Amino acid sequence: MDSLHAIGFYVSSALSVTGALLVALLPGRGARGAALGLTGVGLAGIYLFLSAGFAAAVALVCYAACAWLVAGPTYRSLDYVVRPPWRQLSAIGAAGMLAGLVYSAFRGDFVHTTFYGGWFNSAAVGRLLFAHDAIATEAVAALIVVALVGATVAWRGRGPSR
Amino acid sequence: MARAGAKPVSADLVPVLFVAAAMVAIGAFVAGWRRDLTAAIGSVPLLLGGAGVALVGVARFAASGGPQLVGQEFAVVLAVVSLALVALGVGIAGREGSR
Repeated sequence: MDSLHAIGFYVSSALSVTGALLVALLPGRGARGAALGLTGVGLAGIYLFLSAGFAAAVALVCYAACAWLVAGPTYRSLDYVVRPPWRQLSAIGAAGMLAGLVYSAFRGDFVHTTFYGGWFNSAAVGRLLFAHDAIATEAVAALIVVALVGATVAWRGRGPSR
Repeated sequence: MARAGAKPVSADLVPVLFVAAAMVAIGAFVAGWRRDLTAAIGSVPLLLGGAGVALVGVARFAASGGPQLVGQEFAVVLAVVSLALVALGVGIAGREGSR
């Protein structure tokens, strides 16, 4: 990886992690949606500088849609009761998980191989999705259709009282 | 002008895995910390995005013994799945919750 790509990767990483932190900390759905969009831009940049242009394009569209869903007019709050010790325990658990993952990444002994793909790779990824792993792709597509039909039913099921 | 003997900026698999770990941990933090269930759903793209970064990094730097782009393929699927899960979660919350 040359210097330009490495700098782009680090800048995109900073954007992505900053956006994720803002999703965690900001109040208000509009600000959280914007932060999720920032995370998507950073994630697409990471993919792009790792020679995964097609994945970057898909991620950008999907995260923009996620941001619109979170910030949009269909959003409703759904509070649930969790006592503060459990929330603090979950925060400590997330910190412990971060420490464990960083340690394993730092101490890991990884194979280094040469990358022969191009920067966009849409044809190669398409061949994998629709020829090499066609059954898995169909299964994921069926799950996504079920999820979207469920979302539509849930939206429409609230009735005329809205 | 670059200083003579300066090391070029570079990145390999380890920084990629650091970023992936940070995103997954922040996603787990959001899932546990938020009181609003719909806001906690915002953790799903972070968790799956972190996994996608790790997969793309492995495909870029350390894939051997099979198709090199399988990690990119999974990252595409994870992005689409995260959108579907957020849509489902916001839809269910829209049925049960209040503005």
